[in-house]
Amino acid sequence: MAIFALWVINKAGGLVYQRNFTDGLAPLSSNDALVLAGTLHGIHAITAKLSPTGSSSGCQVIESETFKLHILLTATGTKFVLLTSPAELQAQADSVLRRVYEAYADGVMKNPFQTPEMPIRSEGFDARVGAIVKPA
Amino acid sequence: MTVYSLYIFDRHCTCVYYQDWHRSKRPRPASSGGILPGVSNAISGLSDAQNAGQRSSITPGGGVVVAVGNGELDWPDTTTSMSALPFDEEVKLVYGIILSLKQMVKKMAVKDDTLVNYRTSTYKLHLYETMTGYKFVILSDPNAESLRFALRQLYTGPFLDYVVRNPLIAMDSKEQGIDNEHFRAATDRFIRGLSMYN
Repeated sequence: MAIFALWVINKAGGLVYQRNFTDGLAPLSSNDALVLAGTLHGIHAITAKLSPTGSSSGCQVIESETFKLHILLTATGTKFVLLTSPAELQAQADSVLRRVYEAYADGVMKNPFQTPEMPIRSEGFDARVGAIVKPA
Repeated sequence: MTVYSLYIFDRHCTCVYYQDWHRSKRPRPASSGGILPGVSNAISGLSDAQNAGQRSSITPGGGVVVAVGNGELDWPDTTTSMSALPFDEEVKLVYGIILSLKQMVKKMAVKDDTLVNYRTSTYKLHLYETMTGYKFVILSDPNAESLRFALRQLYTGPFLDYVVRNPLIAMDSKEQGIDNEHFRAATDRFIRGLSMYN
């Protein structure tokens, strides 16, 4: 069980935060990461439209053979994406994402020097995210 | 737990087969020319009479009933609410998602890797791709376990038996879906026999 990386995608599909924790995924150039975040944003919207019954949320978990993406969509449209090993438990990943959202609300949204929807450069947020991910 | 629908795509990105089970939101009929004839009786742009003339299975004239009646399996129940999407649009979206997610996974993984499934609050999409480029896609209940093994069995069982080994089916034709009553019936039996189907 390992957490590979964390992404924060703003409501327009732009990647505003990206941090790698453990090796296990191919290294991405920042341009590639931006493109992938945009793709994920689009796919997320389409998956919600394909529901065979009733209205659906967008994709919450995407699984491949070697890793998993857990996606938390907040009410404001910001997406928190956690990239983990396939063995990572659902509940554990969800709790990490919840706590990262909390840290985001405290460390980023309440920061008067943060421009909304722009890349996050905050040492406080970095430190809190580090503390949330490390023991997991 | 249940199974909603099954799509089979060939290596030319076209949908060659469709069947559904417990969908409460049915696709609207495709505009004519939007999908290949014979993909599914329910959503084809052609009328049923036109379809019947092009069947690639020899149905026995009486005696044993192997074919499954159209009305029983495939015609949409008009009382259920219709999905806003026409079928040809829906198929394109399904293929588009699979293609983009596969590319994304390929870019992110260290070694060779592919999409296995994704889950939303109301459904889970499973993918199995064969060496020949056929993609088997199933939509199931979100709590279902991985259905990859089931898709593989569907491929090695009914698909090989009734489609690949059937000289009357033009594989890769780009003109005709898999329109075979034996395959339809075998697929239906197989899906209904899954432990998570009820």
